[in-house]
Amino acid sequence: MNVFLTSIFVIVSVITLVGALGVVMARTVFASGLWLILSFAGVAGLYVLLEAPFLAAAQILIYVGAVAVLILFAVMLTRRVMGDPGVSQNNSQWGAAAVVAALMFIVLSLTSVQNWRPSTESPPLLAVNALGEAFLGPYLLPFEIVSVVLLVALVGAIILARE
Amino acid sequence: MLAEWSFVGVFLVIALAFPPLGLVTAWLLRPKRPGPIKKSTYECGLETVGDTWVQFKVQYYIYALIFVIFDIEIAFLLPWAVAHMGLSAAQGILPLIEVVIFVGILVAGLMYAWRKGALEWI
Amino acid sequence: MVSGLDFQLFLPETILLVGGIAVLIADLFLRERADRETNLAWVSLAILVAALVASAAQYGVSESLFRSSADPVAPGAFVVDGFTTFFRIIAILTTIIVFLASVEYVRGRTAFRGEFFALMIFSTLAMTLMAGSTDLVMVIISLEFLSITSYILTGYLRGNVKSNEGAVKYFLYGSITTAITFYGASLLFGVAGSTNLYDIAARFADPTAIIGTPLMSLVLPAIIFLLAGFGFKIALVPFHQWSPDAYEGAPTPVTAFLSVGPKAAGFAMLLRVFAVALPEFTHEWAALMIGVAMVTMTLGNIVALSQTNVKRLLAYSSIAQAGYMLIGVAGVSVANIAGIAPGEGGAGLAIDGTAGVLLYILAYLFTNLGLFIGVIAVDYLAGSDTLPGYAGLLRRAPFLTVAMTIFFLSLVGIPPTAGFIGKFWVFGAAIQNQLFALAAVGAINGVISVVYYFRILKQMWYEAPADPTPLRLPGTMNAALWICLSLTLLIGLFPAPFIEFANQSIHMLGVFVRS
Repeated sequence: MNVFLTSIFVIVSVITLVGALGVVMARTVFASGLWLILSFAGVAGLYVLLEAPFLAAAQILIYVGAVAVLILFAVMLTRRVMGDPGVSQNNSQWGAAAVVAALMFIVLSLTSVQNWRPSTESPPLLAVNALGEAFLGPYLLPFEIVSVVLLVALVGAIILARE
Repeated sequence: MLAEWSFVGVFLVIALAFPPLGLVTAWLLRPKRPGPIKKSTYECGLETVGDTWVQFKVQYYIYALIFVIFDIEIAFLLPWAVAHMGLSAAQGILPLIEVVIFVGILVAGLMYAWRKGALEWI
Repeated sequence: MVSGLDFQLFLPETILLVGGIAVLIADLFLRERADRETNLAWVSLAILVAALVASAAQYGVSESLFRSSADPVAPGAFVVDGFTTFFRIIAILTTIIVFLASVEYVRGRTAFRGEFFALMIFSTLAMTLMAGSTDLVMVIISLEFLSITSYILTGYLRGNVKSNEGAVKYFLYGSITTAITFYGASLLFGVAGSTNLYDIAARFADPTAIIGTPLMSLVLPAIIFLLAGFGFKIALVPFHQWSPDAYEGAPTPVTAFLSVGPKAAGFAMLLRVFAVALPEFTHEWAALMIGVAMVTMTLGNIVALSQTNVKRLLAYSSIAQAGYMLIGVAGVSVANIAGIAPGEGGAGLAIDGTAGVLLYILAYLFTNLGLFIGVIAVDYLAGSDTLPGYAGLLRRAPFLTVAMTIFFLSLVGIPPTAGFIGKFWVFGAAIQNQLFALAAVGAINGVISVVYYFRILKQMWYEAPADPTPLRLPGTMNAALWICLSLTLLIGLFPAPFIEFANQSIHMLGVFVRS
């Protein structure tokens, strides 16, 4: 079973990383947007492996379903990008990228070789039911404020984007 | 837990296999006689006009934006709906009031979008 | 879950929330009425004043709100204490003054005036929420709330390329820092196992739980990542690059707002999170503050020297001012943490240097807003925000020129102005904590700032105006100017009650005692 899970993890990670690489290396912004969807889907798979089904569903619903569409629309709105697909979309700063990647690798590897003590506490709220109870318990105020933030975002979108 | 996800995996495999299967079957069965008319792009049976890369109207974008916002609202309402039965038994009408406030604030947003004409097709 | 007490103490936020939505909806349905805007402006002002009164009425209260009914000793996500009350008042006052200065300005510049008023009210709500957040989730949501309203307000002038540019830069920079802040918060949550600041503090106070485990290695990264988010709102130096462009492009009243409101709210959050959740790490974060303060002051002042656009110049000036405030944070010593459960009343944390920060923010509010009212007036009446636009202002608007001169003196910190009192307390805290190098860097920077402030003063007092027609300020702008001028001088001349106010306001509700 463990080998099976690990192999699933590897597949999902590869999908995520290939998607992410595609985003930065694609020739057009539109193609970058499509690669991004692949990466989002891979992340949803990672959430499944972390036993967070609600997060996985939200990832599919919001990121793959809505945000990706929004990004593709935004690209298609831009005449200059649509008219000129030949321009490279990244500024080819491979040196800087290598430095950041190396730093990230060092940090992550140092973190993973630590002598971690397995937690004896019960895992945090991941079941949808517990999440709903938390929304109406300790996280009631943030829950309601999210609604106000969404309202402001809606109003702002109409002010800034409407012709 | 993962047993519950196995059917998702089955669906995923079928979904991924479906398009290539169809294409491969068609490629195996079809007669192969290409011509210039057959190779042209199909667009409602008429001759194609202009580029396939066209600029979209801003209206699409506003729709998409409003859609994202209400999509997120749904994502927040789902856990509430799941937990609602248990909570109502314990706390009566309070969970309902809380979610009415949540939705009510966003209804104000919907009202705003509607009155501003953002939902009209132009 | 929710008790009657919560609603009573949450009244200022409730007023702002309901009021903001009411203004937004009223604007939709009064579309045809000619006097709609004026009425809406007065209604919005009344909402803000009502929220101010409701906040001031809670002076002396110390309660944790939104506590779970399942666990009666557990703290909630929001707290009303002296510290919250202070920053609620700061946030609402800032909006009221900016509001008075902007009513005339936005007329004719945008088609979305009703929304402008509503967004101002919503951003005030975001700032008051930031002031009282005691849960990492609440911290991040209120931070994001204020950011979103700020992006929208910055890009409000749709037809103006600079406004668009400023908003896009602000947004891109903001999204990345938000992501980093999220990461920091998640690290802290991972280490401590709770999002509640009091629970986090309790976990760190337990000598066997975290100290000595590998988890300790994650605390410093978490502190730095959280600092990125707060530093972005305050415009501290490694996180400041957005501010000159956003300040220059934003409508001038919004620039005034950005230079005071989010900065104050950012400081509130920084002090609250670090003092309540991470008192065990005071040495670490205070040391970090010393470095950031030095760099922030120096870079802000030196780059300001070469600016020719007044809004950009004041952007760098306000970066430098944030550096001075940070001296006070570096001078914080979490001296006596009294474990006091909610409801027992009295002081929780008492922190030196915090009073200096609060006093400085109070003085800076009136000084900087006053200065910006001058900038708004010149932009509104003469259509210029460059240095030559201020030539001969003395002959065109003598009172405004004198008032602006006093505000400049206050920014430098010359008695008898409010700025002097603020600087005195902040530097006093630094010297008391033996941070002599920091105080010296601050003093040198004070001298540098005189140079570029003097460049504006020279234009106003000595140059001949290109167009000598007198500038007449609209009544609301004049009212705002008078409020700022009188309080700048009042704090400078009779500081005692304001010092008392700041001293009373440093008390945060302390560590919760878990039975």
